[in-house]
Amino acid sequence: MYAAFAANAFQTRLAYRNQAWSSFFGQLIQVFARIAIWMAVYAGVASVDGITLADMITYAILATAVMGVWDHALLMRDLDVAIKTGDVAVFLLKPLHYPLYLFAAHCGNLAFNTLAVVLPVTLIIGVTYGIQPPASAMHGASFLGFWALSFAIYFLLAMTCGLLAFWLMTAHSLEWFLTGIMALFSGSILPLWFFPPALAAVAQYLPFAWVAYYPTAVYLGKLEPAETGLILAIGLGWAAVLAAGVGLLWSRARHRIVVQGG
Amino acid sequence: MLAALRVLPFLVQLHMRATMEYRGAMILGWIAMAFSYASVYTAIALIVLRFENIGGWVWSEMALLLSFHLLGYSLGAAFSFVQFRQLEDIVRLGTFDTLMVKPISPWAYLAFSGFNIGYAGHITLALPLMTWALTQADVGWNPTLVLYLVGALVSSALITAAIITSIGASALVWVRSRHLYSIYFGFWELARYPLNIFPGIIQAIMVTVMPLAFMSYVPAAVLLDKEVPLLGPAAAPLALAAGPIATILAMLYWRWCIRNYQGAGG
Repeated sequence: MYAAFAANAFQTRLAYRNQAWSSFFGQLIQVFARIAIWMAVYAGVASVDGITLADMITYAILATAVMGVWDHALLMRDLDVAIKTGDVAVFLLKPLHYPLYLFAAHCGNLAFNTLAVVLPVTLIIGVTYGIQPPASAMHGASFLGFWALSFAIYFLLAMTCGLLAFWLMTAHSLEWFLTGIMALFSGSILPLWFFPPALAAVAQYLPFAWVAYYPTAVYLGKLEPAETGLILAIGLGWAAVLAAGVGLLWSRARHRIVVQGG
Repeated sequence: MLAALRVLPFLVQLHMRATMEYRGAMILGWIAMAFSYASVYTAIALIVLRFENIGGWVWSEMALLLSFHLLGYSLGAAFSFVQFRQLEDIVRLGTFDTLMVKPISPWAYLAFSGFNIGYAGHITLALPLMTWALTQADVGWNPTLVLYLVGALVSSALITAAIITSIGASALVWVRSRHLYSIYFGFWELARYPLNIFPGIIQAIMVTVMPLAFMSYVPAAVLLDKEVPLLGPAAAPLALAAGPIATILAMLYWRWCIRNYQGAGG
């Protein structure tokens, strides 16, 4: 049943091709801007702290790709509308778990964005500027695992913020808060290895770093194999904690639903 | 005309009063938006501080560029973004027809009846950042330059409102236009950085078909007495002229769209 929801979401996105073109173009410019920044700051410098310009171009492509593959605003706006209109009550009558339904639907969105936006952008920018291969086959395989974990954590973070709207009655502000946190702490703009040490020491343990920084660092081989295993375990721990948090929030939130009129 | 003008402040007041009914949500929104921009600026600051400059711009100069970008955008978007982003819904539902029979321009009605005080958070962040940047950066102040700063900010806001209006107006003819904002925001992000870090083709686009270089980079470069690629000494007057020119083009396009508006059918 949940696979059907994912397929349905994919087909819905397929119907709005103009939107896909615009997202593709918007993301292309965004990756392009990030690469231009790194080319500007690396002018005349071979490497900084062992990180080369080629590393940073690959980082910019992949970090934007893993972040751009899904937009938390889509989920949070869905939730905002469902809460404000009372549509969320309809899902209580159906034999499904609402957060799981949303997860399935957004897996469909993820698949669509991967095929229509991320792969073409990665291909074009990769051909134009050159993208490094993964540090090894194992690093490449680990990257795919980290990418899946990245989506799971990102979705759960957005879901946590979205469910808080049951108490605040608006997801709009929470969406902006999450946007801000992700911009800085996910490492999507600036990798954690360029953070001031004190800030990096905190940011490396926060769940946001698993969304963009760790998948890309793993791909580039910037983590030792043993360290990669530990980071993966901590990431899975964060996913479990967030999933439990979402479960708890949802169980509390559904008792708060009051439908007026109808 | 005068009667219509007298209605405008009333429309703004009406919308503000409605927004103020949800005061908590409104203030939380201001804080959230300011926080979000501050996070991005922190990431940019960390890059500049780590690498000393971006394209020759040190942090205080980058802060001026970013604050100009944010202030110009928020002043223009307050009159346009949310209002014209939802224009495609208004067209699809057929409610645009009701705006056309009002004794006031549909553009003025949309812009002023939806005047968005949600940008207060943007402005609260941009103003102190700009003040700090102007005290830190090497600016040779004189009365003309002060007037130039104000004029360039107005021009920046006009460019924003003109482009956002034009994108929204496309819905009158093509019914859908919201997706085009993704492209706008792509270029909008480029406008946060010095133009000289981009290749020539992007520089050319940013001063012609998508003239967002004039909303932040060009005026900031003029204030800092930096050389502007492609424009040279013409940069200063062009930054002032870009807003009014974009506004005139947007007005012509809006009128063309209104003339060709046929509804969404159904």
